[in-house]
Amino acid sequence: MPTKKTTALVMASTLVGVLAAGCGSTTATAPTPKASGPVTITFMEAMSSGTLKPAVQALVSQFENSHKNITVDLEVEPSYSVLETKIEASVTAGQAPTIAQAYEDWAAGYANSGAIVPLDSYVNGSNGITAQQKSQIWSGVWKDQFLPDGKIWMWPFNKSDFVLYYNQTWLNQRGLPVPTTWSQFASDAQAVTSSSANTWGVSIDPGSSSGAANGTYFYVSLIRAYGGHLMKNGKPNFDSTAAQEALSYIVHMYQNGSMKFGSSYPGQTALGAKHGLFDLSTIASYYYDQEAIGGKFTMGVAAFPKGPAGEGNVMQGTNIVMFSSASAAQKNAAWTFMKWLSEPAQTAYWATHTGYLPVTKAALPLMTSYFNSHPYQKIAAESLAYARPTPPVAGMDQGIGALANAIQEATIGHRSVATALAAAQSQATSDVNSAQ
Amino acid sequence: MFATERRRRSAYLYLTPAALVFLVFTLGPAFFVLYISLFNWNFLNSALSTFVGLQNYTNLLTSSTFWHSLAISLYFVVGTVPVGLFLALVLAMALMNQFAGRGFVRLAVFSPYVTPVVATSIVWIWIFNPQFGLINGLLHMAHLPELGWLQSQRWAMPGVIFYTLWHSLGFDVIIFMAGLSGISADLREAARIDGANRWQEFWSVTWPLLTPTTLFVLIITTIGSLQAFTQFFTMTAGGPMSATTTTSYLLYELAFLFYRTGPAAALAVLLFIIIAGLTALQMLLSQRRTYYQ
Repeated sequence: MPTKKTTALVMASTLVGVLAAGCGSTTATAPTPKASGPVTITFMEAMSSGTLKPAVQALVSQFENSHKNITVDLEVEPSYSVLETKIEASVTAGQAPTIAQAYEDWAAGYANSGAIVPLDSYVNGSNGITAQQKSQIWSGVWKDQFLPDGKIWMWPFNKSDFVLYYNQTWLNQRGLPVPTTWSQFASDAQAVTSSSANTWGVSIDPGSSSGAANGTYFYVSLIRAYGGHLMKNGKPNFDSTAAQEALSYIVHMYQNGSMKFGSSYPGQTALGAKHGLFDLSTIASYYYDQEAIGGKFTMGVAAFPKGPAGEGNVMQGTNIVMFSSASAAQKNAAWTFMKWLSEPAQTAYWATHTGYLPVTKAALPLMTSYFNSHPYQKIAAESLAYARPTPPVAGMDQGIGALANAIQEATIGHRSVATALAAAQSQATSDVNSAQ
Repeated sequence: MFATERRRRSAYLYLTPAALVFLVFTLGPAFFVLYISLFNWNFLNSALSTFVGLQNYTNLLTSSTFWHSLAISLYFVVGTVPVGLFLALVLAMALMNQFAGRGFVRLAVFSPYVTPVVATSIVWIWIFNPQFGLINGLLHMAHLPELGWLQSQRWAMPGVIFYTLWHSLGFDVIIFMAGLSGISADLREAARIDGANRWQEFWSVTWPLLTPTTLFVLIITTIGSLQAFTQFFTMTAGGPMSATTTTSYLLYELAFLFYRTGPAAALAVLLFIIIAGLTALQMLLSQRRTYYQ
């Protein structure tokens, strides 16, 4: 028979047990190895599929062999969304990794919260990189490491950008040129558009208020090719003349039937099914486009065409950030690892084994034979010279959703380009202000 | 007396683990959401959070996005609940009759309910595909105009409603069939002896006695519709042009895409109040017209 005291004791111990289980993860603190001697760092990343996982493991193994006092523990997550959630959970619980992959807008949020440290003192310190090495990093990639405060908060890792995939057999049959300008792209697309044959130029996913898709990034690239910028004086600049001209271009293609909208990589599906002539996607999609085509025709790859103001492209992929909770020894070891990863030999290894792009031009001579067998990779690598990420500003991811909405408003919503972009500008301004 | 006291203590003892799990994982977080909703919350560093009082609530209540999402939610509820109730009742009554292949039809009606929403909604994305989808293929064969479906501001929500009805109708049908099975055959027989036709038998005997079941289905499906998320997440991502951004989806966007934790918590509280209020209203209005045997 349980007595009152026994009952109370059991209840109390159960409560303590449950609360302890719930809170267990918050009580531990980040490991603090000694200032000298072996150091273990943790690298939280999402390179978990296909050739990515063995490539990261091989690089870590090479690094550990050449740096006997540093151990790199990989914390592999299955996707970027899980990675983001795990980073946030670990930071909140006081158990942040030493370093992690992060997109620019993630880094902006982490920096605002004091979760990561700026890297200027490492980059420019005695164990940093030389001015010559800096100049070899693609200019777009170099600029990508900064947040608007002018400090270096990230270090480059897996980068890619957009290219134009096309049905080369079809282009040849029709005697059409591989487009080098967006106006040529539009005229090629219109030339193959036929309602009776159910063919058209290109399918895109315009994205939604939840965020950008490839079609949204195509529009951003187009804005840049028309000479526009997404930010001006620290504020969204979505209703510029360039943005209006670029959106008018999309509306024109949509209205004449040469551009169609879809979801879940519609360009890839249409290209593979021989209904669409083009696909606008990142270089990382090469394998998937080839799979969709299944050998039915020859696929060509070209750089994104130029607009009236030149090239425009959006950089994709992540950088590496360093967390403030790590010890000084871990931070030094982590910087050594980050710098080593970006060196020509390692970034060339990474690129040739994964399809991502080398972060420095100095890696190109090491990749000559690879480029001979994979010429499309060279096209994408050279596009890094002018590719830019979306602005790393808190709230911008939400703002880009407003831009995606504007594409739909001006096309399927039948609103004027100016009205659609005015709404996007207003929404993005509010989003960015709210997030500050 | 002593035995009663002992049983009472034992009951509390046995309830304790479940009560604690409920407290720690449901009730506690719920109150924490209420707390967070009063802050400009920094989820990465709560020390940087600032108290803003009811500012998150006033911002939401004065934002067109919130009211738009409520209107979209209402559209979805109206499209799924009354239509679903009617279809489920008709199907349940039909499936109570004896006919060849009844078991197979019952299985066919119920089986979508046990399929995963993510997997089947991806299949339906392809069925609704404007260029390659089955539905537009059939419309084309019938010389009818093809529709944009999930890419269309006008047809995206009907598409999601259609999918939701396909997926969830089986559950409602089973509940109605259970309700119909519980109605005494004597009452219907008495009505027929008194000269009632099939419609009169349904309207005066079956329907009134089915009201407790109907009330249950009404409340469950209304709550389910207001909380529906997965199909919007996979099929439309709230688009196009926010045509399917329900309040639940907006909550997800704010909390997990844009990390605006304070406003998201305030929205969760408002959604709770709306669901609780609607449920109370439904129960209040229905109690007057609910009959029990």
